[in-house]
Amino acid sequence: MFEKVLIANRGEIALRVIRACKEMGIATVAVHSTADSDAMHVRLADESVCVGPPPAGQSYLNMAAIIAACEITGAEAIHPGYGFLSENAKFADIVKEHGLTFIGPLPEHIRMMGDKITAKQTVKALGIPTVPGSDGEVSDADAARIAEEIGYPVLIKATAGGGGRGMKVAKDASELSFALSQARTEAKAAFGNDTVYMEKYLQKPRHIEIQILADSHGKVVHLGERDCSLQRRHQKVWEEAGSPALNATERDDIGGICTRALEKLGYLGAGTIEFLYEDGRFYFIEMNTRLQVEHPVSEAITGIDIVREQIRIASGAAMDFTQKDIVFEGHAIECRINAENPYTFRPSPGLITQFHSPGGLGVRFDSAIYAGYRIPPYYDSLAGKLIVHAKNRNECLLRLRRALDELVVDGIETTIPLFQGLVRDPDIINGDYSIHWLEKYLAGLGH
Amino acid sequence: MSKEVPPKKPGVDADAIRELSALLNETGLTEIEIEHNGGRIRVSRAAVNAVAASAAPVAPAPAAAAQAASGPASGPVAGAVPSPMVGTVYLAAEPGKPAFISVGKAVKAGDTLFIVEAMKTMNPITAPHGGTVKEILVSDKDPVEFGQTLCVIG
Repeated sequence: MFEKVLIANRGEIALRVIRACKEMGIATVAVHSTADSDAMHVRLADESVCVGPPPAGQSYLNMAAIIAACEITGAEAIHPGYGFLSENAKFADIVKEHGLTFIGPLPEHIRMMGDKITAKQTVKALGIPTVPGSDGEVSDADAARIAEEIGYPVLIKATAGGGGRGMKVAKDASELSFALSQARTEAKAAFGNDTVYMEKYLQKPRHIEIQILADSHGKVVHLGERDCSLQRRHQKVWEEAGSPALNATERDDIGGICTRALEKLGYLGAGTIEFLYEDGRFYFIEMNTRLQVEHPVSEAITGIDIVREQIRIASGAAMDFTQKDIVFEGHAIECRINAENPYTFRPSPGLITQFHSPGGLGVRFDSAIYAGYRIPPYYDSLAGKLIVHAKNRNECLLRLRRALDELVVDGIETTIPLFQGLVRDPDIINGDYSIHWLEKYLAGLGH
Repeated sequence: MSKEVPPKKPGVDADAIRELSALLNETGLTEIEIEHNGGRIRVSRAAVNAVAASAAPVAPAPAAAAQAASGPASGPVAGAVPSPMVGTVYLAAEPGKPAFISVGKAVKAGDTLFIVEAMKTMNPITAPHGGTVKEILVSDKDPVEFGQTLCVIG
């Protein structure tokens, strides 16, 4: 087991990893920019190293500084959190070259799943259901023919994209060439690569993803699904475990398909396979080869500490449970509380004057904020994640309502009011929503 | 014979207020509010010093943050030379060679002051401005972080 781990991240996820390390008796090293000198992850770690000025490119993405920080502190392993360098295969290679352990998947799998075309081809060959599509890059010459085969409406997607960016819809043949050129231009600007592929556009799907853990002894398990359909501009805001749309049989089926596929691949560590789900069928969209923001809802219903398992797996240990040991208990919901105006979503960094975290049975608030903390303007706007767990979905919604009303974050604007509205909405209460629901709801609020 | 009931006087119930004020003084409280005769009375002592709630951080202050001193807490000292990178600092070009600088030495902008090693590469740290070395805040082979003051050139 590692004696000392460096956490190459900030904010709530850095705290999350530090907490798991502390529980395992592992010494922790925090890295931070000059803007984060007073951050909670720096205060709670055993040691800290300032790695650069505020811009992420010169600090949290500064590979040389992070490796140097390992050198001077003697850290043996790096946990990259999510975002930043967590899916940077080159960084994973560099970490290995320096005799350190990257707490995450093999660089070759990060690379494979980072390219959306090869990811789709790979998982298709492993038996995972995919969206009907162009099966590779689509040229402008072939586009019309392929679109006719798939059937309109179609979606043009950037192969180097992800997180919902670089996608354009063509509702019929007349919109196709415009959608293609737009998608290419955007992709070139955002990702430096204008290669695109085409997929059938699903009208009212849900976003359902499967959490996987795989160790170096050949064992792969799934921790059930998360329903992340409530999204604004392709950013998840509310996630549930399990999905209101699935039953236990469907969960076991898709979970089994995923674990068998990743066994064949020889995957290592934590990963999430994301699907669109419509009319009882699953369609692969992408795989995330890292820890995800919404992992706590899976922890709540399984009792498994996913970060602890990541660290154990990276140190070569075998998982000490099998799929049969994993029991799904109750229901969990997470709300991502952002430092933003709840209706315009304009970022609201600044000084937090008052902070009260809700508590009680089944209430968890993962956050790095504190009263007197100044949220810097240089990074993402996530202020905290409110995770609630209860015996069933109805109790969970009631508990969430209570916890949201109790949570106090003053001095900045937050999206708490948005969630207070959602938790009282009839469609949400009925679990009756697709990936387009939230945008329609926000438009209907008329702000 | 019917008893005449005096009409309810609107306005101030002076007796109740006097009683509450006496109670305030006697107990040392700053404020008392009661419902009385269908109305509400509040008697409050003007606070001389408003007590602001202290914005204490939620978590306890940590044990040592184990680095070498990362510079004065009250803002940068004039002439401070900060480290532009993370690594291990050396005072001389090689073990056994004399140190690049010493206190009192005159330096020009661009003169090598230290070497910081990271990832097996040696990086010379040069003087951003000329002057006299007033203070050297690191020892040979100390770990240094970004922004840490290495020396002061005044």
